[in-house]
Amino acid sequence: MGYLSRAQKALKSSNFLYFSQTSSKFSWLSALLGSNPLYGSPNCRHFGLSQPFCSHSRQNSKENVIDLNQYPPELIRNFSIIAHVDHGKSTLADRLLELTGTIKKGHGQPQYLDKLQVERERGITVKAQTATMFHKHNFHGADKNDTHEQPSFLLNLIDTPGHVDFSYEVSRSLAACQGALLVVDAAQGVQAQTVANFYLAFESNLTIIPVINKIDQPTADPDRVKAQLKLMFDLDPKDALLTSAKTGQGLEQVLPSVIERIPPPPGNSSSPLRMLLLDSYYDEYKGVICHVAVVDGVLRKGDKISSAATGQTYEILDVGIMHPELTSTGILLTGQVGYVVSGMRSTKEARVGDTLHHNRSVVEPLPGFKPAKHMVFSGLYPADGSDFEALNHAIERLTCNDASVSVAKESSTALGLGFRCGFLGLLHMDVFHQRLEQEHGAHVISTIPTVPYIYEYSDGSKVQVQNPAALPSNPKKRVTACWEPTVLATIIIPSEYVGPVITLCSERRGQQLEYSFIDSQRVFMKYRLPLREIVVDFYNELKSMTSGYASFDYEDSEYQQSDMVKLDILLNGQPVDAMATIVHNLKAQRVGRELVEKLKKFIDRQMFEITIQAAIGSKIIARETISAMRKNVLAKCYGGDVTRKKKLLEKQKEGKKRMKRVGSVDIPQEAFHELLKVS
Amino acid sequence: MRVAKLNILPWAKLNGCHDDVLLYPRPTSRSDNIRPFIRSPNYILHYQSINKMLKSTFAPIFSAFPAKHRTRQPSSTAVFRVFAHTPESVQQNASANSHTSILPPYLFHPTSAYVHLPFCRKRCHYCDFPIVALGSSSTQIDDDPRIVNYMQLLSREINATRPGTTTNPPLETVFFGGGTPSLVPPSLVSSILETLRLKFGLCLDAEISMEMDPGTFDAKKMKELMDLGVNRVSLGVQAFQEELLKACGRAHGLKEVYEAIETVKSCGVENWSMDLISSLPHQTPEMWEESLRLTIEQQPQHVSVYDLQVEQGTKFGVLYTPGEFPLPSETQSADFYKMASRTLSDAGYNHYEISSYCKSGFECKHNFTYWKNEPFYAFGLGSASYVGGLRFTRPKKMREYMGYVENLENGSVGCNENIHIDGKDMAMDVVMLSLRTARGLDLRSFAEAYGDSLVHSLCESYRPYVESGHVVCLNEQRRALAADEFNSVLFKEDKDQAKMAYIWLSDPDGFLLSNEMISLAFRVISP
Ligand SMILES: Nc1nc2c(ncn2[C@@H]2O[C@H](COP(=O)(O)OP(=O)(O)OP(=O)(O)O)[C@@H](O)[C@H]2O)c(=O)[nH]1
Ligand SMILES: C[S@@+](CC[C@H](N)C(=O)[O-])C[C@H]1O[C@@H](n2cnc3c(N)ncnc32)[C@H](O)[C@@H]1O
Ligand SMILES: [Mg+2]
Repeated sequence: MGYLSRAQKALKSSNFLYFSQTSSKFSWLSALLGSNPLYGSPNCRHFGLSQPFCSHSRQNSKENVIDLNQYPPELIRNFSIIAHVDHGKSTLADRLLELTGTIKKGHGQPQYLDKLQVERERGITVKAQTATMFHKHNFHGADKNDTHEQPSFLLNLIDTPGHVDFSYEVSRSLAACQGALLVVDAAQGVQAQTVANFYLAFESNLTIIPVINKIDQPTADPDRVKAQLKLMFDLDPKDALLTSAKTGQGLEQVLPSVIERIPPPPGNSSSPLRMLLLDSYYDEYKGVICHVAVVDGVLRKGDKISSAATGQTYEILDVGIMHPELTSTGILLTGQVGYVVSGMRSTKEARVGDTLHHNRSVVEPLPGFKPAKHMVFSGLYPADGSDFEALNHAIERLTCNDASVSVAKESSTALGLGFRCGFLGLLHMDVFHQRLEQEHGAHVISTIPTVPYIYEYSDGSKVQVQNPAALPSNPKKRVTACWEPTVLATIIIPSEYVGPVITLCSERRGQQLEYSFIDSQRVFMKYRLPLREIVVDFYNELKSMTSGYASFDYEDSEYQQSDMVKLDILLNGQPVDAMATIVHNLKAQRVGRELVEKLKKFIDRQMFEITIQAAIGSKIIARETISAMRKNVLAKCYGGDVTRKKKLLEKQKEGKKRMKRVGSVDIPQEAFHELLKVS
Repeated sequence: MRVAKLNILPWAKLNGCHDDVLLYPRPTSRSDNIRPFIRSPNYILHYQSINKMLKSTFAPIFSAFPAKHRTRQPSSTAVFRVFAHTPESVQQNASANSHTSILPPYLFHPTSAYVHLPFCRKRCHYCDFPIVALGSSSTQIDDDPRIVNYMQLLSREINATRPGTTTNPPLETVFFGGGTPSLVPPSLVSSILETLRLKFGLCLDAEISMEMDPGTFDAKKMKELMDLGVNRVSLGVQAFQEELLKACGRAHGLKEVYEAIETVKSCGVENWSMDLISSLPHQTPEMWEESLRLTIEQQPQHVSVYDLQVEQGTKFGVLYTPGEFPLPSETQSADFYKMASRTLSDAGYNHYEISSYCKSGFECKHNFTYWKNEPFYAFGLGSASYVGGLRFTRPKKMREYMGYVENLENGSVGCNENIHIDGKDMAMDVVMLSLRTARGLDLRSFAEAYGDSLVHSLCESYRPYVESGHVVCLNEQRRALAADEFNSVLFKEDKDQAKMAYIWLSDPDGFLLSNEMISLAFRVISP
């Protein structure tokens, strides 16, 4: 991975003028390392083909075919919309797509680009989406009525997720852009992900256009937001656009600002083809579809291309733009963002961040991305025992469209064959589950999420533990030390909540690193927190204690030594590997109690008495029993109406099917789900 | 013996037709492959047991047990014997015939009929049966048009029912259930019995039961009913405490209960039963003990003890939640069940089915057809029949039931041809029904029909419960196997599979958790 280390150096050497604290930002998720790779590629070798090569409709003889040759880099702008959760990115994207006639107004659903069922149900964006639009614009006050004279610009818009778990999507998107709309809710002001996303864009040297959105709200206070932007990011208040994506107010300034302020893509049209693989997904009909940004050169249908990472060669079967649906163009030119279909068999061949180039040409690979870092791990098992193959298939298919999950087979005595999966965060894990169920019909049981610990033994050996079950309860070798991962957390809260939030953070073993005011009412805090402490319900608690006013973001940081112990759960004296957790010694008692109580609540009485225990090593720290079921009989079987009775019994049977049998105990799936909520 | 050639049956051709014996491949162990069906109602499929004597004047006995009388077939084929309609020859030859075969009981011809008489004075608070509440004001019950019209409809339904040939075996049991059948004037009951007799034939010694409510009949009525042939009375007492009767919304008090018992006894009904409900709201252990004691004092031949089911849509369903006050707790209610089992057993009653007790020889024959998975007719509002392997429940609303009878008459509903019976469903029925009885599940005939491997998996999943004593496995001599004996047969250490002959649920622990055990079996049969 030569380009990574090269990029690392670039990161160190790049100079950040405004905030010294930024240099350590996003050690894992800053996908774009160093300066924007799209700017000036030093060794461009001439490839001979000069630019305006006419593609006389190689594929499409249809009318209305978009001729991308009309769009040299000067007429192209690539930009992302970035913001804190719910500040209106996707809604703004809708408006811009409507404004440019890319989608019809009032047709289609709101948040048009949120296509996944999870996105629609939760009202959040989890996957970045690109759309190409065309917009006529005159630089600097030329006669606006003379449409013939107005040049048409090709604009690529990328809508990004706001939630911290998906900031990897943001980083990747920014790699294809020269600018970003930093959207801020006029009432809420700067929030934690505003800060995080600003730095992602800033470190990528993008032009940032502040957009203060939702000014239609009665509580909107754009001036305050302007002041915050100035104070925190040194963004000039004069540069801020004021919009309402709801009413349409102020929207007319957006695209002109994009065109006038954001530089065109910097690539070299006459250099050999280099394109950055941004994303890939699997389509039932077309196969693997890759999103690409052409950095240098030209790509045409029929071209033979190679991957810098794998050396594999492919033929371009289809190429085009997202307008907003896949639209064939037969060509993609320097600076343009689009899709290619190249006969790849699996998305595994499509390495996000890879450089694609013409077969037999030699190019300097683009810097690419740092791989996504997995923050939490959890076991995924088929809810109905036999279905391992079905789950395997579903996971394989889904990971084709969500490469940020790591998957390894594992087995559990309690749950059988399954998978250990690594996620970017808990929301990511949740979304993954939901997509498995909704898009692939799989039913899963997931085990308590865990963060990766490092254990050191008396013989000096170290192991990384992604599954608590893998840690022996009574180890032969003595554990000499244990390290746990930490994060650097950003918390922004109204100042009246400072007291309880500080208490919460210290309960979670946090260490305060910074405390400052971003304006007269808002406090900005930085904490080092053990990752395990924030993984499950930290944010929820934070939100509920601040009536929803807190915002929270984190980036991963180094490991710290801690006193972590393995907590076993035993059913009728048998440890259930899938329920083991690793907890801080001082919290073991409380967590043990909570787990045992949860289980008692969710496991129904059964034919035998059940004892539930929590133990550290051989020491039992909590215990409950569920007395045996006394009676389950249909005494009235009358008039030969067997059918009705049978239905009842079949219902019972179906109920049982949804249980996981561990030893002789039937455990409902909800019990597993509930365990996830204990921290 | 003469047996008609049966070229019309497709499977006869497929599998070869050896003179008088049809070879039909034995169902494989893959129970989903079993699709027994009757192609045409014109054939009667007979099961015979060699040692049994002819009981009726029409046909051989259609009985599946006791099992030891059965002749076993070579393991690869079960032989079905198919007779055409030649009653005389059957009659002549049946008892002498050594060619016997195993026929699944659901393919017998029905010899039982359930007749639903839905009228009640008012609805009890626990009741969700299809009933028609007449209201207490109507004293002139004898010519209440609602009853008269219904009884006519009922006759029409019986008459419109196929198959209706005189060669059918006559009915051996008739059950008038309700509702409150004792509200119906005997003359109308008589006409129904007559219709049944004409249509299907009625054995001279048929068991004819009727559900009767205290306060709805006197000695005169009782005598009239007996003259019609009613020879078994099921008296709905429910409880011996005035306050509980009231709480149930019963239309009678304790006085009527004692009067009714006296009437039944004095009229000389030799086979009568009493219904009790346990776990009623506010019922205490003392009350339950008292009810049981007073029941035993009256010396009925049969007692049915029903654990209260709180049904949706009933008054109880609205007011109460099972296990919560004023209903007894789950533990207490289990104790009531155990108390009944112990007290009645001590008083000489056999606990022969989950909720039925009787003195020796007084099992309810009619109900046994249900538990043996044998076919039965049913007539009347909301009633459920089981004919030709098909279960069918009639409409529960009077208007719809009326329409159903009309359709039956003009032939637009009726006997389904080519009914496919799902093997799994059938196996589940057999398990569900037989495990209700003290006789339990006959493993060998079950294996015969559904394969050894199914029996094996069933036993395997019951293993922990054999150990805990909820399930009992018996050998051929009906001796219970010890848990380790059971295990060693199961794991083939002991090769003598014949040792496992029956499985039953223990009384009271196994019975009390019968739903668990049955649904477990369902899971094995249809995962
Ligand atoms: N009043 C008002 N509401 C808006 C405006 N823009 C968006 N909203 C609403 O704000 C909510 C969030 O909008 P989205 O566009 O989904 O926000 P987002 O930033 O894409 O959210 P994530 O993708 O989850 O980070 C929706 O209910 C929108 O209708 C606006 O200008 N004014
Ligand atoms: C069809 S019912 C009523 C017959 C008749 N009308 C009577 O009251 O005796 C037959 C028996 O079922 C029982 N039964 C009805 N509903 C019940 C319920 N919800 N729970 C338990 N047993 C019930 C009662 O013991 C009743 O005697
Ligand atoms: Mg969005």
